[in-house]
Amino acid sequence: MYDVAIIGGGPSGVAAGIYASRKKLKSVLITKDFGGQSVNSASIENFIGYKSISGVDFAKTIEEQLRANDGIEIKDGLLVVSVKKLGDYLFEITDSAGGIYQTKTILYAAGSVYKKLEVPGEKEYEGKGVFYCSICDAPLMKGKSAAVIGGGNSALEAVIDLLPYASKIYLITRSGIKGDAVYREKIEKESKVEIINNANTQEIFGDAFVKGMKYKDSTTNEEKTLDVSGVFVSIGWTPNSGLIKDLVKADAKGHILVDSKTQQSSMPGIWAAGDVADGLYAQIGPAIGEGIVALLNIYDYIVSENKA
Amino acid sequence: MIKIYSTTHCPYCKMAKDYFDKNKVEYKDYNVEADEEALADMVKKSGQMGVPVIDINGTIIVGFDRGAIDQVLSSKK
Repeated sequence: MYDVAIIGGGPSGVAAGIYASRKKLKSVLITKDFGGQSVNSASIENFIGYKSISGVDFAKTIEEQLRANDGIEIKDGLLVVSVKKLGDYLFEITDSAGGIYQTKTILYAAGSVYKKLEVPGEKEYEGKGVFYCSICDAPLMKGKSAAVIGGGNSALEAVIDLLPYASKIYLITRSGIKGDAVYREKIEKESKVEIINNANTQEIFGDAFVKGMKYKDSTTNEEKTLDVSGVFVSIGWTPNSGLIKDLVKADAKGHILVDSKTQQSSMPGIWAAGDVADGLYAQIGPAIGEGIVALLNIYDYIVSENKA
Repeated sequence: MIKIYSTTHCPYCKMAKDYFDKNKVEYKDYNVEADEEALADMVKKSGQMGVPVIDINGTIIVGFDRGAIDQVLSSKK
C-alpha cells in the first residue's frame, strides 16, 4: 500500500516526486515519459534558474534529479488506464502493462493534450499537412506556405519555428495575438509573416496532402481561402482528466477543480496539480509550485492519519 | 535494421534515439530536413509527413510510441 501515487512526469509530478522521496513517503510515480508539454519548446527562457534551456534538456534534467532520489519508485513508459475508488482514502490504479497499485492518496498531474480545431479535414489530414508539434514538423515546410492557427505563445513559437523554412506564414487568430510581446515584436518584423485576425477556421482541404484552408472573417462574414501546404494547430490544450472524471468535479473544459491553498480536489484523497488542474496559467513555474503544495498537503494528511 | 526518420530539433525524435541508445539497440538516423530522398522514403512508407517515423524491419511506427517499439522489438527477438 502506497502513501501516495503520483500520476504524470511533467514538472508538477516530478517536483512532487522529489518532495515525496525526501519526506520518505511510500510513493510511486507513473508516467509515459518526462517533461510534459515543456518538451515541445525549442527554448525555455522564462523559467528561473536557466537563461535558456531546450524543452528536451529540461525534461532530461528533471528526470535525472528525480532519479537521484531513491525513496520513490519510478514506473515510466507506462500509461495509467484506470483509477478506482475502493474505499475512503483507498484507491486502485492500473497501468497499461497490467500493473496494479493500491494507494491511500493520489496526486493527479497528468497534464494536457493538444486541443483540436474540430473542423472538416483536420483529422483526415493529421500528419499529412495538419501538425500539432511545430518544432518537429516545421522543417518539412521548406519553401512552402504554411498557416499557424492560434494567438497564444505556442502559436507565436510555431511561427518562429517556421521562419527558417517556410516561404510564407499566415498567423490566423480569432481575436488577435495574446502571446508575449517579445514574440509578437519578433514576428511582426518578418515580411513573410502575415497576421490575419478575426478569422474562424472552417475547413482544411487537399488531395493526398493538405493544399489549403478556408476561414471566415468574423467582421464581414466573408469566407476566404488560403493556399497552404501545412496547417499548424496551436489553439491550446485539453486537460487529461478523462480517467477520473467520475471521481472529481471539473469545469466545462475538464480542468479538475481544486482548493487553491492545498490543490485538493472535491474527492478526499485525490489532489491535482499542473495543466490538468483549474489554475489560471499553464506555465512550468506554477505547475511546479502546485505539485509541491499538493505533496506537502498530502504529507500533512498522512502524518495526521498516522497519529490518529 | 532500424531506421529513424527525424528532424534536427524534434524532441520526440531525440527521445526515441535516446531510448534506442539506452537499450543498446542499433539504428540508422535519417535527417529528412537535409535528405530529400529519405524524406520521400519516409512519406512513402508512412503515408504522412510527421516525424519521427521509425521503421523496424518493415514495421512502421509514427511518433515515439514506446509501447509499440517494445512490442515490435520483443516479437522480433
